[in-house]
Amino acid sequence: MAGNFWQSSHHQQWMLDKQDLIRDRQHDLAKLTDEEYQKIFNFFASIIQVLGEQLKLRQQVIATATVYFKRFYARNSLKCIDPLLLAPTCVFLASKVEEFGVISNSRLITTCQTVIKNKFSYAFGQQEFPYRTNHILECEFYLLENLDCCLIVFQPYRPLLLFVQDIGQDDQLLTYAWRIVNDSLRTDVSLLYPPYQIAIAALHIACVMLGKENLKPWFAELNVDLDKIQEIVRAIINLYEMWKSYDEKKEIQALLAKMPKPCPAPQR
Amino acid sequence: MGDNYQNKIMAPVMMDYEFKMKTQNERSKVEDLFDFEGCKVGRGTYGHVYKARRKDGSDTKDYALKQIEGTGLSMSACREIALLRELKHSNVINLIRVFLSHTDRKVWLLFDYAEHDLWHIIKFHRAAKASKKSVMVPKGMVKSLLYQILDGIHYLHSNWVLHRDLKPANILVMGEGPERGRVKIADMGFARLFNAPLKPLADLDPVVVTFWYRAPELLLGARHYTKAIDIWAIGCIFAELLTSEPIFHCRQEDIKTSNPYHHDQLDRIFNVMGFPQEKDWEDIRKMPEHATLVKDFKRSNYQNCSLSKYMDRHKIKPDSKAFSLLQRLLLMDPNRRITSEQAMQDPYFSEDPLPTQDVFAGCQIPYPKREFLTDDDQDDKSDSKARQNQQQQQQQQQPNTQQNQVQANSHDHAANNAKRMRMSGQNQGNNPQGGQQEFHQQQQMMFGGQQQGAGSQQQQNFQQRF
Repeated sequence: MAGNFWQSSHHQQWMLDKQDLIRDRQHDLAKLTDEEYQKIFNFFASIIQVLGEQLKLRQQVIATATVYFKRFYARNSLKCIDPLLLAPTCVFLASKVEEFGVISNSRLITTCQTVIKNKFSYAFGQQEFPYRTNHILECEFYLLENLDCCLIVFQPYRPLLLFVQDIGQDDQLLTYAWRIVNDSLRTDVSLLYPPYQIAIAALHIACVMLGKENLKPWFAELNVDLDKIQEIVRAIINLYEMWKSYDEKKEIQALLAKMPKPCPAPQR
Repeated sequence: MGDNYQNKIMAPVMMDYEFKMKTQNERSKVEDLFDFEGCKVGRGTYGHVYKARRKDGSDTKDYALKQIEGTGLSMSACREIALLRELKHSNVINLIRVFLSHTDRKVWLLFDYAEHDLWHIIKFHRAAKASKKSVMVPKGMVKSLLYQILDGIHYLHSNWVLHRDLKPANILVMGEGPERGRVKIADMGFARLFNAPLKPLADLDPVVVTFWYRAPELLLGARHYTKAIDIWAIGCIFAELLTSEPIFHCRQEDIKTSNPYHHDQLDRIFNVMGFPQEKDWEDIRKMPEHATLVKDFKRSNYQNCSLSKYMDRHKIKPDSKAFSLLQRLLLMDPNRRITSEQAMQDPYFSEDPLPTQDVFAGCQIPYPKREFLTDDDQDDKSDSKARQNQQQQQQQQQPNTQQNQVQANSHDHAANNAKRMRMSGQNQGNNPQGGQQEFHQQQQMMFGGQQQGAGSQQQQNFQQRF
């Protein structure tokens, strides 16, 4: 339910199994390595983030849009719908669900055009944002169908705030952990683990980064599956490791070219 | 070839053909699965509602198919789908399935069919009252209705969902079937999650609650919706169930004004409740429209008004448990109004007769079934009017097609109600005492609020069953 994670569609339908996830990606992983696949998602998560910021959406809305995006491709190949179309569609749908207020169609398209031109020219070159409102609206129906109308997404932000309150308000810790939660959207953890576990993992990483030894007893007292927390921590750390040796600006064009793409109707 | 096509800059393929075909083939169309042609039972700002049956006969249940007004996914459609997808409670309408019609971009929602709603039920009692007929219903019906409304709202509230548009038309009651006599709270189109308001709520929908059921703080410009606002509406509905009159009835001309302040509606509330004392509602001074209130209203004009007097005129005694619960629901100060949980603990519900799951408690349901609307009944009323007269002799004063209003939304509903109120106004208008006494006796029989009126043999027999 909307207030209860355990009865929500998020928990009941969208806590995916890692093995299933890997199996469903076989089509894409025939053409891309695991790392390339992750880099492509990282890139489109950036597009969603920048679009959301340009549209002045809250992080909660941006996170929901990112999870829609990941859920769609968890069940479908990248070739099914061009991710450059699905990304803004996710933002559009999430903004309505989270009641930010409807973004006007023209504002959405204009923002896409500006963002692609000004912030992602390293990926798209001179290519303009190719889609119009009718594309987004058509895509939105497909997105909603593929999400099985599960639109309420639980995010780690609220549990994070509660945990930090419990620890004793620590703004630096919260800021770090909050950013780590944002970064976690670039990994698969939002498909695999409940949001409160992601929040704990983010806190854990933040504590290590800040050298906060004194919080060990707090973690020890938590009644959680520490193996799961470790798995999440590892996934996020892996992302940071990947970033160290990765220059998106140089590599993304080749990756996008390699990405499986939609095929048009056969010509008769 | 596909790759070549991709490389052309201005002509991207947005969607894979194979994926599109596969999805299309798997998608079921609402008209392939359900029969509903000519079975429209409701129409309003929300769209159209049809009574539907499965075509394949795999079950013979009735379903309600709601075609959402307009095309595509409006924000309220999104909210409705998002919330209903998550909500599961026996007193909240159950969304079974969503159909997206890609060709005409229509959105359809499939629900269980509810044969009755409080708008029609109360109307039926009013009509009976006007023609001096009694309606046989179980003594505890009002109590059962209220209990289930509170139960549903408690579920919504504990899950961080506000209804924001509670009114009799949105309280459905199931007819014959496995869920007979069960309350279903409906029309959550405006409901929202409120645990983390991203935007001040008042910014989104300028006016969401039909004025009669609007809490005084909303009328004084409160910027945020609260649980207490839903509780006020439930209090209004409770009073209306007890008396068959909308307690804060007020003529409305302009329903969709964006200005929350509404002089006539406040005047009506004060006329029933009295003007709030400082000590009763300390924060009233902080309300955005407080200055206007002070300018427009004089306390002395309402000196003889009180809820107990109003309800006493309607033969609900101030020392009854029903009254004392009503008073707690209709506290002017939102901070002091009770919660749904507290209300469910009220002694009213532990007093005999106890609330029942089937609000009709196994008795015959006296209310007519929903009528089908014709597509052109806006212009041509004669047909449906004739049918109506035949089937519902009790309803003498029905001017036209008010049958249409199934879970009606603000506009039409309020307008029709207003019409209805004017037409039957004679009862209260010139000679309130005289007109109403008749009615009160009947009222006791109808809802069994008080014991004394139960004179007739039939009534006694009837009550023995409980």
